[in-house]
Amino acid sequence: MATLRLHSLPAAREEIPTPPSSVSNPRVLLSPSFHCNKKRVSRRMAVTAMGGGGGAKYKGTQMREKQLTEMIEKKVTEAKQVCEGDETSDECKVAWDEVEEVSQAKADLRLRLEVEKKDPLESFCQENPETEECKVFED
Amino acid sequence: MAVCTVYTTRSLNSTCSISTPSKTYLSSHQKQLVFSSTDKRTSRRGSSPWVINCSAGDSQTVVIGLAADSGCGKSTFMRRLTSVFGGAAEPPKGGNPDSNTLISDMTTVICLDDYHSLDRTGRKEKGVTALDPRANDFDLMYEQVKALKSGIAVQKPIYNHVTGLLDPAELIKPPKILVIEGLHPMFDERVRDLLDFSIYLDISNEVKFAWKIQRDMAERGHSLESIKASIEARKPDFDAYIDPQKQYADAVIEVLPTQLIPDDNEGKVLRVRLIMKEGVEHFSPVYLFDEGSTISWIPCGRKLTCSYPGIKFSYGPDSYFGNEVSILEMDGQFDRLDELIYVESHLSNLSTKFYGEVTQQMLKHADFPGSNNGTGFFQTIVGLKIRDLYEQITSTKTAAPLEATKA
Repeated sequence: MATLRLHSLPAAREEIPTPPSSVSNPRVLLSPSFHCNKKRVSRRMAVTAMGGGGGAKYKGTQMREKQLTEMIEKKVTEAKQVCEGDETSDECKVAWDEVEEVSQAKADLRLRLEVEKKDPLESFCQENPETEECKVFED
Repeated sequence: MAVCTVYTTRSLNSTCSISTPSKTYLSSHQKQLVFSSTDKRTSRRGSSPWVINCSAGDSQTVVIGLAADSGCGKSTFMRRLTSVFGGAAEPPKGGNPDSNTLISDMTTVICLDDYHSLDRTGRKEKGVTALDPRANDFDLMYEQVKALKSGIAVQKPIYNHVTGLLDPAELIKPPKILVIEGLHPMFDERVRDLLDFSIYLDISNEVKFAWKIQRDMAERGHSLESIKASIEARKPDFDAYIDPQKQYADAVIEVLPTQLIPDDNEGKVLRVRLIMKEGVEHFSPVYLFDEGSTISWIPCGRKLTCSYPGIKFSYGPDSYFGNEVSILEMDGQFDRLDELIYVESHLSNLSTKFYGEVTQQMLKHADFPGSNNGTGFFQTIVGLKIRDLYEQITSTKTAAPLEATKA
């Protein structure tokens, strides 16, 4: 049987949606329902204890998160511009496809950090702790 | 980890090649032949620089194809699948942190985006989306999947989703189970023929929209309009190139809005259909009560109380793109553990190894999306089916001792 350790996340920096899921609140199957605060994010059922909050651990990852956020904004603006002329043009399709690509990349990164609690740079930074990217990010 | 035991072969007349990964890399064409004597219990432990690749006369790598539009390798389905085999799938250690590949003890999951022939700039120049076959190198995909299936390691390119560039290749060693996941696993006929089992994840437009809203609404750049526009713009290419693959799939998991709640548009309660092709080797479809008959079942009643909107099952034979199929459908949500186990106990041909295995697997990942509805339920079942298929194909005892040592 899975042992459940319920813990709430530190205050989220921004309203972070849960990864694509059919329900916004993962169900707790074993224990009676409990009430969480309004932020969906903090209802989390962890089977194993993992240290730290749900954010990036290393500077490189934090930078990458920021980069992706900016790219999404930029590419949405671009797509809107490109599609103004002709919505069915190839350029328009490609522009929105790029938006989809970076949106998914950001979501994947968030999933890794929030749910799996693993910084993608973890193993790289074990080997190369002195690099700029591997500075541990202090919130 | 004892590398060679992963590659034990059935026949004793196996040719094996030995390579030192740091210096020489095996390309899909190179093979150093070294004839070895019979007993191959070379248990090289630790971080040995030697990699022994054995290719048997008949290959042991089972190849599974998964068509999905939801990014690669990190998808919930993959995590459930690798979990059925034991162990968590991780990106390759010490390699490119943007690698899309996931590796666990038994499985390696490859993201087919790595076979993009055009990077983001190239696609922009040519005016093709990633969904377009022209953006993908099917020759390379075929060569490498074929090589891995025959037990030969390959140097596979990496497509970096953050930069949009093609990064230097990474070494992929043939695993026991190779999963190729992405937009086009069944597009090319040659690749299709290499697949031992294929799955298509078919998300209806309404559900896709609801999921993408959940995914993107918090992003600064996005709004309902932009999310909608993105889906609409990709739809022609999706319908032309991706959707037709579902006729080739051995199993389709179709996700639709629920019929239990009138006018529900939140995409939270789902109706999920598991469409299983009949006559597929090593695969016996799951059924409810009486195989081949048509059943409609609401488990909630006197013995089982469910909260709104409850659960509804149906099962029956049908035809799908000219193929004979059996369809198992679940609409609604699981609220409690006993609902899950109750439903499981009434299904047959689940390929579980013990009573309650599906439930146990679901509980193990109760925090994964879809854990309380048909998506998680059917994904878990398909995972068990794949395990069964794998064991039938390999029909060796090597799987069990490997798992035993890992336990």
